[in-house]
Amino acid sequence: MLVFKLALRNLLGAGLRTWLNVIVLSFSFVIIIWTKGILEGWDRQARADMIKWEIAAGQYWHKDYDPYDPLTLNDSHGTIPDGLITNNNSASIVPVLITQGTLYPMGRMLPVIIRGIEPQQNLLALPTIKLKETDGDVPAIIGSAMAESTKLREGDYVTLRWRDKNGTFDATEIRIAGIFETNVPTVDVGQIWLPIEKLREMMLLPEEATILITGTDFSNAPALDQWIYKNQKSLLSDIEKIIKSKGAVGIIIWGIMLMMAMLAIFDTQVLSIFRRQKEIGTYVALGMTRGQVVKLFTIEGATHSVLAAIAGAVYGIPLLATQAVKGISIPISSSDFGIAMAERLYPVYSLGLIAGTILIVLMVTTVVSYWPSRKIAKLNPTEALRGRIQ
Amino acid sequence: MGSGKFTALNGIDLLFVAGEFTGIIGPSGSGKTTLLNIIGTLDVPSEGKAVILGKSVGNLSPGESAALRKSQLGFIFQTYNLFQVYTVFENVEFPLLLQGIETSKRKQMVLDALEWVGLTEKIGSRPAQLSGGESQRVAIARAMVKRPAIVLADEPTANLDATNSHHILQTMEKLNRELHTTFIFATHDEKVIGYVRRKIFLLDGKVSKDEIIVKN
Repeated sequence: MLVFKLALRNLLGAGLRTWLNVIVLSFSFVIIIWTKGILEGWDRQARADMIKWEIAAGQYWHKDYDPYDPLTLNDSHGTIPDGLITNNNSASIVPVLITQGTLYPMGRMLPVIIRGIEPQQNLLALPTIKLKETDGDVPAIIGSAMAESTKLREGDYVTLRWRDKNGTFDATEIRIAGIFETNVPTVDVGQIWLPIEKLREMMLLPEEATILITGTDFSNAPALDQWIYKNQKSLLSDIEKIIKSKGAVGIIIWGIMLMMAMLAIFDTQVLSIFRRQKEIGTYVALGMTRGQVVKLFTIEGATHSVLAAIAGAVYGIPLLATQAVKGISIPISSSDFGIAMAERLYPVYSLGLIAGTILIVLMVTTVVSYWPSRKIAKLNPTEALRGRIQ
Repeated sequence: MGSGKFTALNGIDLLFVAGEFTGIIGPSGSGKTTLLNIIGTLDVPSEGKAVILGKSVGNLSPGESAALRKSQLGFIFQTYNLFQVYTVFENVEFPLLLQGIETSKRKQMVLDALEWVGLTEKIGSRPAQLSGGESQRVAIARAMVKRPAIVLADEPTANLDATNSHHILQTMEKLNRELHTTFIFATHDEKVIGYVRRKIFLLDGKVSKDEIIVKN
């Protein structure tokens, strides 16, 4: 207790020197938590957006469908199993027919994935209501990233070419009925959405689909011939992998921030022991054991992080809480950035993140403070009293 | 400098009696500070035996020697060695904190010690705000506050002018007389030599003369 009291007295007595260290360390605290909070918020948003725009509760995939191999698209389609419809689930199942095509915007040629979807669906956030046919033309909706790369605007007509089930090429003019903003590149970049009935007609594939999006979890439903059920978890596995790899980057950033903070503490400690040799000698002369002096210097160093946690809380809590509620505006659109990122990001600061960060920083600070302080145990007090460099 | 062995003290045989006001006198390198450090249990003799207050310095564990310094020994240094971040009060209070003396008693003891040295009006000042003489008086108060059996003063007047030196020495003489504390000085300052009642002359690590001065 005495050593704690003396450590606090020394720190407060050192005035500006202490507060400078505390402020630098508190910045590290806040930035570490802020960075982790942004990554966590980004992760949660990415998962939520994937579910909202692409996955829903789960999907049946035609057994030959491989989203990473466009060559499988010609064969990966089939009729919707009777069992699904008779089970009174038709309202919560949205069939999607997928095929390859080529778009010719402004004389350029652009390979695209054509997706046919029910205009009335409400499982996904796509504004498919705009796909209701009017005046016999073919309406289509595209994402903003796709619109940016093709320079297409709402109301524009563009030529779309495809190959039907017999391998015959055909083409038609389609009208861009709507452009939507999304953070999910897999429904936007290189994708064009048409009414499913129109696409079935174009492909000569009546009643057929490539995937069936479900509004409820069918994990426990009986297995269907030709169709494989993918639940939400398995459909999110790719993004989970990306998040995991992003997590590694987060840990690196976290480590760098922590190292910078610790360097400040280490530097202060080394300098303290160098500059305060006479003081160390005096402590010993007045009756402290070397162990007590080591403990005093270690606690002094570690107390920096306690004070920094308090200082960080004073300005960090209002700052981070405001950001968590109001979000952070991201000036770069997702298409420019190349990865899924919302225009407004909502950081998530969990109690575990805050407590964990404080605890780890406290522990590391204590170790970093102790490390140079061990030198005190080897100091000769008579030499230290003279302030001689040892 | 080098790996050669240096003998700081050789064949010293001294006995200090309680209440002495003694000066260990000699030129630089004569072994004064080494002798003081051994008496202060900050150093141990490589050969021979030093017994301080009935305890053999060489046989004390680090904890035991720290305990002895904490309760029975006071130090006054040439460069004062005050804690710069503490106030005068906190500097003087420090040895009592180590002893775990309770707050109200501690406060009274600090005020008494500051009164002995005439510095009660500087209680809230920091060492940087004090003159050399005032700093050394704070150091004396810090050494005396716990009423030690022995005070060891290493060149206490070396950084002070004549007026301040006399003031300091008179203060220590008064404390020696009133509290019967043993004072041992390491010095080559004529002013200090004029005050001590026993002069031990050291030369090249050996006692060349040990004389007791009878003062009226």
